[in-house]
Amino acid sequence: MPVAPGSHKESGQAARPPLAETMNRRRMLGWFTGFGLCGSAVLSAFSNLVFIKPRATYGQPARFGIGRPEDFPPGTRISMDARRVCIVRDGNRLAAISTTCTHLGCIVGVADTGFACPCHGSRFDQDGNVTGGPAPKPLPWFKISLAPNGELEVDKGAEIAPGTYLDV
Amino acid sequence: MNDTNKEAGLLTAVREFPANVWSSIFRNPLPSNDLERAYTSFTNFFLHVHPVKVHRNTLRPLYTLGLGLMSFFLFLILVVTGVLLMFYYVPSTTQAYDRMLDLRGSVAFGIFLRNMHRWSAHGMVAIVFLHMCRVFFTGAYKKPREFNWVLGVGLLLVTLFLSFTGYLLPWDQLAFWAITVGTSIAGYAPLVGKQIQFLLLGDTTVGQEALLRFYVLHVAVLPLVLTLLIAIHFWRIRKDGGLSRPEEPARTQAVTMTVTAVAAPAKAATAEKKKVYGLQGFVRGPFTKVGNVPDNSVFSWPNLLIAELFVFVLVVAAILVLSLLFNAPLEEPVNIMHPPNPAKAPWYFLGLQEMVSYSAFWGGVGIPTVFVLLLLLVPYMDRKPGGVGVWFARQRLLANTIFLTLVLVNVMFIIIGTFFRGPNWQMVSPW
Repeated sequence: MPVAPGSHKESGQAARPPLAETMNRRRMLGWFTGFGLCGSAVLSAFSNLVFIKPRATYGQPARFGIGRPEDFPPGTRISMDARRVCIVRDGNRLAAISTTCTHLGCIVGVADTGFACPCHGSRFDQDGNVTGGPAPKPLPWFKISLAPNGELEVDKGAEIAPGTYLDV
Repeated sequence: MNDTNKEAGLLTAVREFPANVWSSIFRNPLPSNDLERAYTSFTNFFLHVHPVKVHRNTLRPLYTLGLGLMSFFLFLILVVTGVLLMFYYVPSTTQAYDRMLDLRGSVAFGIFLRNMHRWSAHGMVAIVFLHMCRVFFTGAYKKPREFNWVLGVGLLLVTLFLSFTGYLLPWDQLAFWAITVGTSIAGYAPLVGKQIQFLLLGDTTVGQEALLRFYVLHVAVLPLVLTLLIAIHFWRIRKDGGLSRPEEPARTQAVTMTVTAVAAPAKAATAEKKKVYGLQGFVRGPFTKVGNVPDNSVFSWPNLLIAELFVFVLVVAAILVLSLLFNAPLEEPVNIMHPPNPAKAPWYFLGLQEMVSYSAFWGGVGIPTVFVLLLLLVPYMDRKPGGVGVWFARQRLLANTIFLTLVLVNVMFIIIGTFFRGPNWQMVSPW
């Protein structure tokens, strides 16, 4: 009966020295191959990740003009929903408070007592502090400034301490 | 014999043409004896997923309730209707909603196909979940079926993610705000949350990039993943010894091992036997020992096939009737300035939405992660062998009670989210 390939390995094994001494070259090549294949897999997975992460985005600009100070009469709270910011004018002071709920990103509505979120019931006071619901953080305030042309400019990239107003 | 080889050959060929084509496709005739019944499973590509014989327990309608098959057939309906819908859909924020209106108004059967797709998707989520409950309550995840349970948990998650990516596509109010909320939940994941959110949206806000990404996930990536998982899931059923069933007392007797593809948990070492191994006997894993146990198996053709056909007809009929009676909802076109109030996800995510209304991290990330981990670990924590193959086995009272409690809590959250939440997510009475 012909001996099946591979079976001589088992029979001859007892007489041989331990594998580690005889198989160095083969084992090393095996390790190299393994590292090479796994490394290539990791690298290609990583490059795919880099590929699907966009370098440039087409969203709204962080800085935008909102109009002249006269457009916001004293005592008004005007929510600019498309910009997701609420312009508060208190006497001669102006502030821009975010209307993106800090809970899960819905737009909060302006209510008598402050802000209320329709999605999960978060409530905020007039300064954006959390008064109820699941929101973990107060609504951030954004930097608002007067441009040389007399127009107000909001920078959503710059958060400022709540309670910081712009005097006009 | 000679006649056919003569000049009448062409005529004969024409006359026998249909029969020849038929027999070249189907290698054996409709079976009339057991050998031919066995051959049906070997020789037909679509039938060879079946074993030659199945255990009677597998065919008990009240054991499996046909839930796994139903999930699969719903997936088939979803693939067919989904591909058809792709002919008319454009993943563009300016066109998507109009295309939905086109499906309603001008495309032949458009509204009907959309209904079928939507109701099958809802049905698949429900049936996959029920299938998981069936497997748990019958203890079917136990050794050697642990890994198939793990695959099943993966299938549940991919099913949920498929439905989630699907309802962004109409670009209506539900779509926009559900994705806003859903990707914000992803943003709460520790360490990599914000990056995942950015990768999903392809932008800092929900817009065109997000729609395109979710479209690709929905029509290409996730269906492929699901198909692969389903294939492994089915393959494992066979390799793990068929569907789970109560253990049968082994009879000691001289036995000839023949190999059929129906597998039973093998305890080959218990008795000395004269063994004759067939080809598949060399394949590792359990295989049937015919004669060792009372033969409670029947041929797949026609028993299993008729059962499958019955479930298929039932599922298709149910979806057709639902699609005739109810139109798939389509909300107002996206208004990025005004979320609907209350902004509610589809029913199967309302439990999650109810939980995130208490805490975004714990409700949206923490508890679901713990729940999924627990599900994945179930077969590796519960190692007691008893109680397999029967509903609500007495030995499994504790495990079943814990699982049932979790299911009921989930259902309760869904009911609260669906009926008891009004504007601003305030508690309201549905009456």
